[in-house]
Amino acid sequence: MASNNQQEQGEITKTELWKMIFRSLFLQSSFNYERMQAGGWLYSLMPALKKVHKKKDELAAAMKRHLEFFNTHPFLITPVLGIIAAMEEQKEDPQMIRSIKVALMGPLGGIGDALLWMTLLPITAGIGVSLAKQGNASGPIVFFLLFNAVHFVLRIGGMFYGYYTGVNALKKLKAGAKAISRAASILGVTVIGGLIASYISLSLNLNINVEGNQISVQKEVLDKILPNMLPLGYTLLLYYLIKKGYSPLKLVGITICIGVIGKYIGLL
Amino acid sequence: MLQEAFLIALWAGITGIDQFNILLHIHRPIITGPVVGFILGDFQTGLAAGATLELVWMGMAPLAGAQPPNVVIGGIIGTVFAILSGQDPKTAVSVAVPFAVAAQGAITLLFTAYSPLMHKADEYAAEAKHKATDMLNLSGMVVLFVFNFVVAFLPVYFGADAAKAMVDIIPTTLLDGLAVAGGMMPALGFAMLLSIMLKKEYVAFLLVGFVVVTYFDLTLVGTAIIGVAIALYDYYSNNSNDNNQTPKKEAKTNGI
Repeated sequence: MASNNQQEQGEITKTELWKMIFRSLFLQSSFNYERMQAGGWLYSLMPALKKVHKKKDELAAAMKRHLEFFNTHPFLITPVLGIIAAMEEQKEDPQMIRSIKVALMGPLGGIGDALLWMTLLPITAGIGVSLAKQGNASGPIVFFLLFNAVHFVLRIGGMFYGYYTGVNALKKLKAGAKAISRAASILGVTVIGGLIASYISLSLNLNINVEGNQISVQKEVLDKILPNMLPLGYTLLLYYLIKKGYSPLKLVGITICIGVIGKYIGLL
Repeated sequence: MLQEAFLIALWAGITGIDQFNILLHIHRPIITGPVVGFILGDFQTGLAAGATLELVWMGMAPLAGAQPPNVVIGGIIGTVFAILSGQDPKTAVSVAVPFAVAAQGAITLLFTAYSPLMHKADEYAAEAKHKATDMLNLSGMVVLFVFNFVVAFLPVYFGADAAKAMVDIIPTTLLDGLAVAGGMMPALGFAMLLSIMLKKEYVAFLLVGFVVVTYFDLTLVGTAIIGVAIALYDYYSNNSNDNNQTPKKEAKTNGI
């Protein structure tokens, strides 16, 4: 980072980058359906804007520009902040800044959802749950530490990566976005396969009488064909219903009905 | 009960902020469960209830601004119910969901009501009043705190005895049935994840994950490592495919 020292006065330094990292934690404090994270985006970018736009009318114009609709993954906001801060510093054309911002927020939102909400959270929470289920108090602590280790590495690393790579980062991210989200999806789907097998409890409580012997359908029949076939089957049924447009709330209702009625008639 | 209700409501307010800001994820049931358990003097039940509720909410992620049933209220009310009623944590899931859905609806209203504030921000921006836009942005957290505080306080304070009384009235078969439904409920979370993530080409990996756990009793970390291995292999073999694409095509045409 020696090159940083050679920068001209009045430019963005590490102090601004760290301020932006801290402020990025509040990206969604004024979340609303009209412009989503716009208020928090301006709040997060403010240290850089103040530094590079010394004239009041310039600053006002920049602030208005950065109150436009914005929405991306709240963890992957810092690389965008870094790139845009670099562009503001170089007084790039506002239209170009705007289009770069819009070009980045979609792919990063998609990657973030796949990588963090659907991969990191189920894995770390799953590890915490498996400990907590044994009555081990370290479950929540392990979850907290694992999750936030990744969280803050991404948030802090993303800021410096975004700023120092500047506009070049855009090309890199665009080229890699598809491959990264595909890799994350593969990882996520594999883990979901494992979660289905370990965490859904559903079995038949049915005995049939074969030549005077009581035979448990679950143990003697279903488990011999494929253990966990009912959890897998029920997940796939719900998947099918969601695809058909059933609301999650309706499916909660259906699940409760099946559970209660199934138990009542002694089948589950 | 006033003191416990106040502490739980305070915790709900703090984690309500964490749900959208800072995002340390202390608002997840795996953490709120034991904390609520500690406040109510039954840490172990809180831990178990939190773990059960965590699984239910695992698949309900806030994607593209759409809000799932509120995990903060669902997790906290669910745990409170499990402890005060002495019921199986799985039963708590069925009690938690209606509260969570109501809170989700209210949050949606809150985010709608917040839209006009953006126009106020436009006015401040036109005059370069950056301190004013800062305050405007941060003010949303106060609203989130108050909302979650109130929504958690009321049922805990007024509902403790009511929850117990309710459980006494409900037949055991119904409660057992709700426990069965609670055991099935994680399927919904996984199905929702799959409805977004699953493509035909990924079905193979779903089966791999399912089979290694079903037949080999592999842990989640082990399953995740297998997933990482496949993802890495796929990533690099795809990249080298891209590089070799032109020669391959040529070879084919030459062959024909």
